[in-house]
Amino acid sequence: MKDSVQRSSLLTWLADPLQATRDTAKRAFQSTTDRRVWLAPLGIGVALLVLSAIGFAADPEQFYFSYLIGWSFSLSIAIGGLFFLFFQHLTRAEWSVVVRRIPEALVWAFPALFVLGIPILFGMHDLYHWTHEELYVEGTPEYDAILAGKRAYLNTPFWIGRVVFYFAAWTLIAYKLYTLSVRQDVDPDTDIPAQQRTVSAWGLPLAAVTTAFASYDLLMSTYPHWFSTIFGIYFFSGGFLGAVCLISVLSMSMQRGGMLKNVVTKEHYHDLGKFTFGFVVFWAYIAFSQYMLIWYGGIPEETVWYKYRMEYGWGYHSAALLLGHFIIPFILMLPRFVKRSRPILAFWSVWLLGMHWFDLHWVVAPVLNEQGGFHWLDFACWLGLFSLIVGLVMYRLSRHALVPQNDPRLAQSLRFENA
Amino acid sequence: MANQEHAHSTATEHKDLSALAADGSYDASPPLVTGNLAFDDITEMVSKHAEKKKTPLMWWILFGIGLAGSLMLFALLAYKIWNGVGVWGNNQPVGWGWPIVNFVWWVGIGHAGTLISAILFLFRQQWRTAINRSAEAMTIFAVMCAGIFPAVHVGRIWVVYWMFPVPNQMEMWPQFKSPLMWDVFAVSSYFTVSLLFWYVGLVPDLATLRDRAKTFWRKRVLGFLALGWTGANRHWRNYEKSYLILAALATPLVLSVHSVVSFDFATSVIPGWHTTIFPPYFVAGAIFSGFAMVLTLLIIARVAYNLENIITINHLEKMNIIILVTGTLVGFAYITEFFIAWYSGVEYEQYAFLNRAFGPYAWAYWIMMACNLITPQLFWFKKIRRSIPAMFTLSIIVNIGMWYERFVITVTSLHRDFLPSSWGYYAGTWVDVLTFIGTMGFFLTLFLLFLRFAPMVAMAEVKAVLPEADPHHYEEGDGHGTGADVAFIQPAQETESSPDTDPDDAPPPPDAS
Repeated sequence: MKDSVQRSSLLTWLADPLQATRDTAKRAFQSTTDRRVWLAPLGIGVALLVLSAIGFAADPEQFYFSYLIGWSFSLSIAIGGLFFLFFQHLTRAEWSVVVRRIPEALVWAFPALFVLGIPILFGMHDLYHWTHEELYVEGTPEYDAILAGKRAYLNTPFWIGRVVFYFAAWTLIAYKLYTLSVRQDVDPDTDIPAQQRTVSAWGLPLAAVTTAFASYDLLMSTYPHWFSTIFGIYFFSGGFLGAVCLISVLSMSMQRGGMLKNVVTKEHYHDLGKFTFGFVVFWAYIAFSQYMLIWYGGIPEETVWYKYRMEYGWGYHSAALLLGHFIIPFILMLPRFVKRSRPILAFWSVWLLGMHWFDLHWVVAPVLNEQGGFHWLDFACWLGLFSLIVGLVMYRLSRHALVPQNDPRLAQSLRFENA
Repeated sequence: MANQEHAHSTATEHKDLSALAADGSYDASPPLVTGNLAFDDITEMVSKHAEKKKTPLMWWILFGIGLAGSLMLFALLAYKIWNGVGVWGNNQPVGWGWPIVNFVWWVGIGHAGTLISAILFLFRQQWRTAINRSAEAMTIFAVMCAGIFPAVHVGRIWVVYWMFPVPNQMEMWPQFKSPLMWDVFAVSSYFTVSLLFWYVGLVPDLATLRDRAKTFWRKRVLGFLALGWTGANRHWRNYEKSYLILAALATPLVLSVHSVVSFDFATSVIPGWHTTIFPPYFVAGAIFSGFAMVLTLLIIARVAYNLENIITINHLEKMNIIILVTGTLVGFAYITEFFIAWYSGVEYEQYAFLNRAFGPYAWAYWIMMACNLITPQLFWFKKIRRSIPAMFTLSIIVNIGMWYERFVITVTSLHRDFLPSSWGYYAGTWVDVLTFIGTMGFFLTLFLLFLRFAPMVAMAEVKAVLPEADPHHYEEGDGHGTGADVAFIQPAQETESSPDTDPDDAPPPPDAS
């Protein structure tokens, strides 16, 4: 990168790899808040994580599971942000320029998420049954022939190596997309849009493959006997939905704070709402395909995964997932005014963010607990990590223009209307 | 430069880029219609082919070929119905051979038309207007060809109507638990919606042809089909509403039809078939093959009918990008299937995939891999994306590859049953081959009739994406026809609230419903 924007010091690199460029932002696009806007969520995040640490002392196994669920939630949303940016750049989208800085700030969550993922390494023995050495000793009652067959893939060093590789790939793509856009704010190199498209073109297949395999490694292998080829797409669909909802929520909260007035309009919310609705349906399509094919086939090795999610109270979770993640939002988000009204769209965005976490909880938690329900750590870890990530997003947003102010399609985006 | 130097000096420094952006010379998207065509030119260029008295010799030659193919198709169908399914290569355990392969191949091809007319419409991709009419026609004809195969495969074709839930004194109903039954509903509703969508889109253009008609019967027939269209404001309003509703209805159909087709395989417990990625993977493959077929047809048609200024090289390039994306998605699904088959630890799954790649049908598998995953990667190069000979060759390769994909899925999973005593080698017979070629002739016949008698480009829609169609095209300075002197940052049109009121506190806008 040319040095039109200086790199930040190593200390702040995790939070923002670039020096602040806020002073160069046009007034309409400047963040007008003080540091409370990011300090508050960071503070809440740290407080909740300290609370979680107390929970760790009491029940480490529960802590690890709750932590994995909460961490996967933020991770999936950051991945969704990457895909959102790919789609916008590759299709040369005009409508989304005014909200694009939010996912750009979001995707730099990967380095922080990588650091926040370290506790999972210590919990691998609890989280991942396949890490147990005794499973691979032939002739013992613990010997598991199926898992022994998977050992070439499911073993701790290779698993760690893969996760490091995924994060390296995501961080690289995120760095390019984030810094190119911020650099454009101060140094309008006419080449930047083409570079953003190039990064998106190779980033898309790379992110697709790494996302799918990350979902197998992080989530699917918590129940290592089970397998489903659609699982990566399932993980992606929820994460993308979460990213779109987070964009809407953050944009609305900044507008509540007096920023981006008359920049982001109900026309943009209409499109974000359509994206949200579309991915509610897409998630349901993928979830239904996975469930229906396994149910219809009726092979015990596959149905067992759903069996655990149908009994001892988990059945209520399954029913709530179907209702809350699909049926209710599908029906109530159909009308046009829902997507054009900020309060109503805000409600559904927050609702669906909650449902996305509920979905991940439904995927992971039954591995630990035979009985359905929640543990307080589930909430503490989830909201603690998410507050931390949102605080860092707000920190980055406060340091730069709130809109890619020199994007050549900004004018079209500002006057965008749903014809 | 360090960022401090930029502080407080941005406004002047950025004017260059802003000006570039505003006058459209910065990263401008190329015009959708080239050659400075006016509205009238488009009407003339498209309508004249449906109106001319003398049909070109080449059309007659191709029509003759198509008709011969259709006759061969109907003769072979009669032969098959007379003699039974035994004339095909189907055996035990390969009960599904060429017929299902051909069915899936043809249904898949149809998907491009619906994607172009429905999904690209919802995503405001205006370039679709040049190709949607012919692509939708292709969809309808492809679904007709597809429907032939399961219909004659039922064996006793004289009771084929039993597939529909017709009340009867025997209280016999279709097996609703069977995905084959779901196919009947999925494909027939797909055909109905596609036909309606196509016809609704045709109405304004049929009215144009009606107004230009010279002969008595032409006036009457086109007048009947144009439904009294006058181009009145109210007509357009109703038209656009119905178009949007049909697009919204057709969008889930793009996904559902081929998902249901994939259920035919994936609900079974056959290794290689029973895998959860099948629905989205089949949909991606369908769009992939459909766009390849649209390319094959339009590369020829745009030259034969001098439509290069309407169906430009930029249109073809965009289709090539879609082929690249969907082809890579399909390849990703192949790799996922292979990996999870190994990961599953199920020896039957593992064997099914090894058998695919290295068994007796390895030749078909590697044709599929080469055609679908490897060669479309050439479209990463802009030169190849914009080279007519290269893209024509690749479109044919993709069509071949996608036929082989279905062949590989169907046959490799069946030909070695669980018991080695029921292992064998399956091959189609001459009846299989010639019936498939016959459907191509049938398709060609229908498509040529469409080219000859219907407006092959959606004239009204293409005119609507010309710059002149913008109501502000001839105005200056209102922020729409932006010149270099207009401020780059225009306040967006926030209508529901004055700047003083907090938009969050404002009541829901009155125009909301």
